[in-house]
Amino acid sequence: MNAVNNWNSTQHFWLIILGFVVAFVPRFVPLMLFTKRAIPEWFNEWMKFVPVSLFTALVVKDIFIDSSSYGLVLTNYPLMIAAVIVIYIAYRTRSMAVSVVVGLAGVFLLSMFL
Amino acid sequence: MNKRRPNPKQVPDPTEPMWRSTLRVAMPLNLSYIPIGLACGILLHAAGFNTFLTGLVSLLVFSGGGQFLIATMLTINSPLLSIVLMLFFLELRYALLSSSLSPYLKGQSNRFLFIFAVSLNDENYAINYLKFATDKKWTVREALAVEHYSLLFWATSNVIGSLIGSALKIDLSVVHFALTSLFLYMIVMQLKSHLTVLICLVSAVLAAFFMIVTKSTLGLVIATIVASLIGFGLEELLQKKMPNSHWLRRMHSPGSKKSVVEHSDAN
Repeated sequence: MNAVNNWNSTQHFWLIILGFVVAFVPRFVPLMLFTKRAIPEWFNEWMKFVPVSLFTALVVKDIFIDSSSYGLVLTNYPLMIAAVIVIYIAYRTRSMAVSVVVGLAGVFLLSMFL
Repeated sequence: MNKRRPNPKQVPDPTEPMWRSTLRVAMPLNLSYIPIGLACGILLHAAGFNTFLTGLVSLLVFSGGGQFLIATMLTINSPLLSIVLMLFFLELRYALLSSSLSPYLKGQSNRFLFIFAVSLNDENYAINYLKFATDKKWTVREALAVEHYSLLFWATSNVIGSLIGSALKIDLSVVHFALTSLFLYMIVMQLKSHLTVLICLVSAVLAAFFMIVTKSTLGLVIATIVASLIGFGLEELLQKKMPNSHWLRRMHSPGSKKSVVEHSDAN
């Protein structure tokens, strides 16, 4: 990953404002609606599967997809092994901080030796 | 942000002021935001954000996943629309979180709901949902205080990360794995039945397939929609046809939420 971005601060600022809008609307609208009326059951049932599907897709992108050619990469061994370690640590400890720190240390050490 | 003075009338334990009792509840989360916030600040700096904008994005977007995504997509020169669209789908999960908190926020003014929604986040949601569900004395003001503490720690760590990034040369591919770890952690926290494990695998295959076909991160959006609909449909089908299926059975894991509650009640 190289820092090759050439946007200026004004463009970054507008990105933040738009980012705020898309981050805020999904947090606020259901809160405003559903404190006044009941939640449709199907909506809840469907939304239940959205986070887990999205997070998995993002992890697959990070580990198995090349970020410039969008080709499949099956040789990223340090990341693959570190991912297995993180899953195990997250399952055992249920601690976000421990999982992230172990993941960072793991990928740092593994990419030195592999 | 709207930092409010705690109202002394709502303190459940007269010997401990509200700012301290809520800080005690929020502290484990605050501490875990430090390494992730530092990593996020370093990446945002590498993506070209200055320190002021890094602080601003942490206050306004306040989402680990969202901010990492912005940093990554900027470094691969994605167009603005593509970043905002991906961000929207990433943040859409908050619709679920805020609808599940809504029963506890009935009767609050729209102004309060606005302030509450701005600083809502995956992790402070987890704390507040647990508190509302288990502690009858937990008030909306205390919930908001927990949100504001986590926001403060998150934004501060990001700003410090941005300063570190400008002072030191750091291997970004290693730092980026902080986000992958965060997502892996969140997946593990979401695995509640065998069906969710299956949906993970479905989503993984679909994500790889659609990203290779579309040659863009749009594949992530398609995979998420298709996989979540498959999960929704399969669950409906299983509940109707075979309600005792092992796919619907709840999974148990060491240190699951229940024991956390018992632990925090004990002290």
